[in-house]
Amino acid sequence: MNFVSFSNWITTAPSWVASLPEGLQSFIFQLFQTFVFADRWKLFANGLKITFIVTIGALAIGIVIGLIIAITRTLYSNYVVTKPPFVLKVLNALANLYLTIIRGTPMMVQLLIMGFVIIVPKTDLGTILCGILTLGINSGAYVAEIVRSGLMSIPKGQTEAGRSLGFNYIQTMWYIIIPQAIKNILPALGNEMITLLKDTSLVSVIALRDVTKQAQNVQSLTYNALVPYISLALIYLAIVIVLTRLLAVLEKRLRRSEH
Amino acid sequence: MNTETKDAVIKVENLEKYFGDHEVLKGISTEIDRGEVVVIIGASGSGKSTFLRCLNCLEDPTKGSIYFDGVDIADVSVDINIHRQKMGMVFQQFNLFPHKTVLENLTMAPIKLKGMKSDEANEMALKLLDRVGLADRADSYPSQLSGGQQQRVAIVRALAMSPEVMLFDEPTSALDPEMVGEVLDVMKSLAEEGMTMVIVTHEMGFAREVADRVLFVADGIIEEEGTPTEVFDTPKSEKLQNFLSKVL
Repeated sequence: MNFVSFSNWITTAPSWVASLPEGLQSFIFQLFQTFVFADRWKLFANGLKITFIVTIGALAIGIVIGLIIAITRTLYSNYVVTKPPFVLKVLNALANLYLTIIRGTPMMVQLLIMGFVIIVPKTDLGTILCGILTLGINSGAYVAEIVRSGLMSIPKGQTEAGRSLGFNYIQTMWYIIIPQAIKNILPALGNEMITLLKDTSLVSVIALRDVTKQAQNVQSLTYNALVPYISLALIYLAIVIVLTRLLAVLEKRLRRSEH
Repeated sequence: MNTETKDAVIKVENLEKYFGDHEVLKGISTEIDRGEVVVIIGASGSGKSTFLRCLNCLEDPTKGSIYFDGVDIADVSVDINIHRQKMGMVFQQFNLFPHKTVLENLTMAPIKLKGMKSDEANEMALKLLDRVGLADRADSYPSQLSGGQQQRVAIVRALAMSPEVMLFDEPTSALDPEMVGEVLDVMKSLAEEGMTMVIVTHEMGFAREVADRVLFVADGIIEEEGTPTEVFDTPKSEKLQNFLSKVL
């Protein structure tokens, strides 16, 4: 049973509904159809789960890629007067190629290519991983530039102080530079996370059943677009508002050392 | 065994440094003995800071050798990080780690690099802080301290690694005048304890009082050297006379 008509529903509805104006009656019916009938709220809930999994997975991949690319490019740019080693030159060229391709093509196109040309997943899990990987690779390019700006914002004296104590380059980065850089880039990184969350709505093109895809499903089941899509927008909005708040709290905590 | 070279902690041979095509150091050779306090003076742009920064390879020497405990650390195949642990450095801008408390600034390197236990490191750090009169600021962040206090912390941060040599790169140049004294006092007490020190400074009074030997660097070479009395009272070279007439 996939469909319920208004005339059927009104006979089973509580009596107070019948006393409401007709427009309101039909709106309540649409809400019923979208969320309550056939437990359709579960579709939204399951979709949200996919949305979160993809966001978190892609964010993790994006940060790892972003850090590696940013450190490579920062290391390379340190060689101003002397020539950088060959390996670094190659890595830097690869990093630049990656940034150019990813930032130069639309996310939607990247998803289509990964989903239908490169990976072509056959299982649900495969599709999820394909989505995570694509979004992560995409996000990494933007995170890389954010992280690089953060690394460059830390005075050179910090690196020198770390190195003079005997820390090697990686240790200096990890213990001294990155913790300070994170504080500076947190607003931009939070922004990237929010963008990423919203961009997960594109994964429906590789048939991943995220919350957007589920809203589309409900729309096609109920022949009603208004309630599913407005609800979808409100769901994203609510998550983004919560995230924004959390980031503000985190930022405040990280600023503890500046009085 | 030659007794004169035996207790040289640092031995510099024909050190040259280029920045691109610009030759900053044009062949410097000298030895720094254990327990010796060497003060380097010179006009800005003379290469004195570059020379100091070459001693722990913060600037890579272009040519020449720097022997530290008998190892040529200018050789790129040497693991410089091991040797830097034994060479403390104090900077003009303090360069404390702003995201760490004063105590953590001191304990970080001993814990991470020497595997010191954190209780042990804290105890040692508090002793060092007490020595510079800042034990009560252990839990403060660097931004809460005055410039003089920050520089005192920077000195004990370097001491926390129990270095064999301390390098000072214009340690009082960024300080307000009333704070110079407290930092120089700490350095004086270090010198009295027999720490080997190489100091780039503009504080001529301090140099005269504390230095065993003064190096006057001009145009990338050691133009003149000697005891403070020799350098300050009977300068031989025209450049040194010129320089002293401007700063004294």
